Amino acid sequence: MYEEPYRWVEAVGNRRQYLDEQFKQGSPVVALTYDGGILLATVSKGTPKLYEIYDRLALAGMGHPTDLEKLRFSLLEMAHVEGFNRSPSDVTGSRLVKYGIAPVIKQAFEEVYKAPFIVRILVAELGSKQEKDAFLTINYDGTFEETTARAVLAANPAVQVKMLSYLKENTPATLSLEQGLDLALRTWAIGSLAHQQQDESEHQTGTESSTGGATSSAAAVPNSDTLITHIRGTAGERTVECAVLERQAPGSSKYRPLKSGDLSRLLPKSLQSVVAG
Amino acid sequence: MGMQGDFLQLLKEQGYTLGSPAAGGAGHTLTNATTILAFKYRDGVLVAGDRRATAGNMVMYDRTDKVLEIDRYSVMAIAGVPATAYEMVRVLEHSFKYYRRTQLQELSFDGKLRAVSKLLKDNVPAALAGTGAVVPVFAGYDVEQGAAKIYFYDILGAEFEGAEYAVSGSGSPTIRGILHYLNTWGPQPLNTLPEEEAMVQALRLLTSAAEFDSATGGINRESSLYPVMKLITGAGVQTVPDATLKPLFESQVVRYV
Repeated sequence: MYEEPYRWVEAVGNRRQYLDEQFKQGSPVVALTYDGGILLATVSKGTPKLYEIYDRLALAGMGHPTDLEKLRFSLLEMAHVEGFNRSPSDVTGSRLVKYGIAPVIKQAFEEVYKAPFIVRILVAELGSKQEKDAFLTINYDGTFEETTARAVLAANPAVQVKMLSYLKENTPATLSLEQGLDLALRTWAIGSLAHQQQDESEHQTGTESSTGGATSSAAAVPNSDTLITHIRGTAGERTVECAVLERQAPGSSKYRPLKSGDLSRLLPKSLQSVVAG
Repeated sequence: MGMQGDFLQLLKEQGYTLGSPAAGGAGHTLTNATTILAFKYRDGVLVAGDRRATAGNMVMYDRTDKVLEIDRYSVMAIAGVPATAYEMVRVLEHSFKYYRRTQLQELSFDGKLRAVSKLLKDNVPAALAGTGAVVPVFAGYDVEQGAAKIYFYDILGAEFEGAEYAVSGSGSPTIRGILHYLNTWGPQPLNTLPEEEAMVQALRLLTSAAEFDSATGGINRESSLYPVMKLITGAGVQTVPDATLKPLFESQVVRYV
């Protein structure tokens, strides 16, 4: 029945709706450049969300863990074969995304008989200088966006914009790792709170239609205490997951996950309680 | 298939072969010859190699690096045909990284050893044809067991654990005897030597090898040419800079008569 163009457009539209639904409970991801490299941060539940892809490339994802694994493997395969056959400096995030996984994701999304990838992906690439650090985000339909300085993953574009503008407003001229970590977690909280609010307001408008005013107040930026309380509230069942690509790290592999020891050294006092163990 | 994290298998699926034998290669003079050595000292393993590459009686290059870092905890020192050896090191480097990144854990030390054996085994036809024989020494620090380890191989890929020391290359017969003597009747066993004394011994051993083997390059102070020396300890691989070797060589290796 999808042979008719209208049906196909409708099917793809349904798919979008279905996929948007899948990310509502997801945990946002924040990536930013700091004076020593790139920091990736999120709060995860069970399965990790941050991965090493190549010497200077890191991956973060939202969505279904199995789909993320599949794409992670094809990125790893492409990166290592290319790095071996040509050279490590020819392995760039932009080539892997544009000619590697983005077309695959798009095809899966449009083939309405098959299952799409339930993923949003962020690829961070450490440059030789801070100005050359780059980020790529790919949506479930294969559209990608290249940015510098910062990038986020969230349930929908509105939340992403909110997180990005918070990040931009609060980034000083130079950012140390400690400051970056604090800022990244606050931005995560902005996104996570926005997810919650959207979810609640949908439930309310679904059951009773009198709370139109509540949604507009949700647009205001929460204050610092609210953010800290929210991050603290996640400790226990969820874990703060952070990783860095360090420009000055010895050897060729620049990726390093931050362990709980690193986190308790780097986090401000107010957030010490989120460190596991 | 890809889920096993085997990089060499992945390459082979794409049509890659290591060291195909070239017919009649035996008649040509190939670049090789070397002295490499590895021994355990107090803190870990010391691996060192001279820097000369020769083809017959020709010196091809005097700044070759034959002690190659594969990852943070392992080093492969190579004797034999450099073209094949460098290729092997590149495969190993990518294999270990690929394994770590796909499986989200380090490849075990035994797994690394097997990977070296497998490459040598694939290379047997080329080795026997005379175009690609490689005789490496693999040294590293087994982080899980907290122990330094040394292994050496023959060209067919058999793996031998060199308990205290291992040598390879054309200059190695000279120093194998010295190492045996030092370790058995010397003032103290090699594995109790402190770092600086271990470095002095390595410099003396390579100088002796160069004395008797024309294919091993000696130390050339005029052009500040020192051997490549690496120390592998629990903290990882560390390269000894020339600035450290120079005073040691001048004060404890050169004999002023």
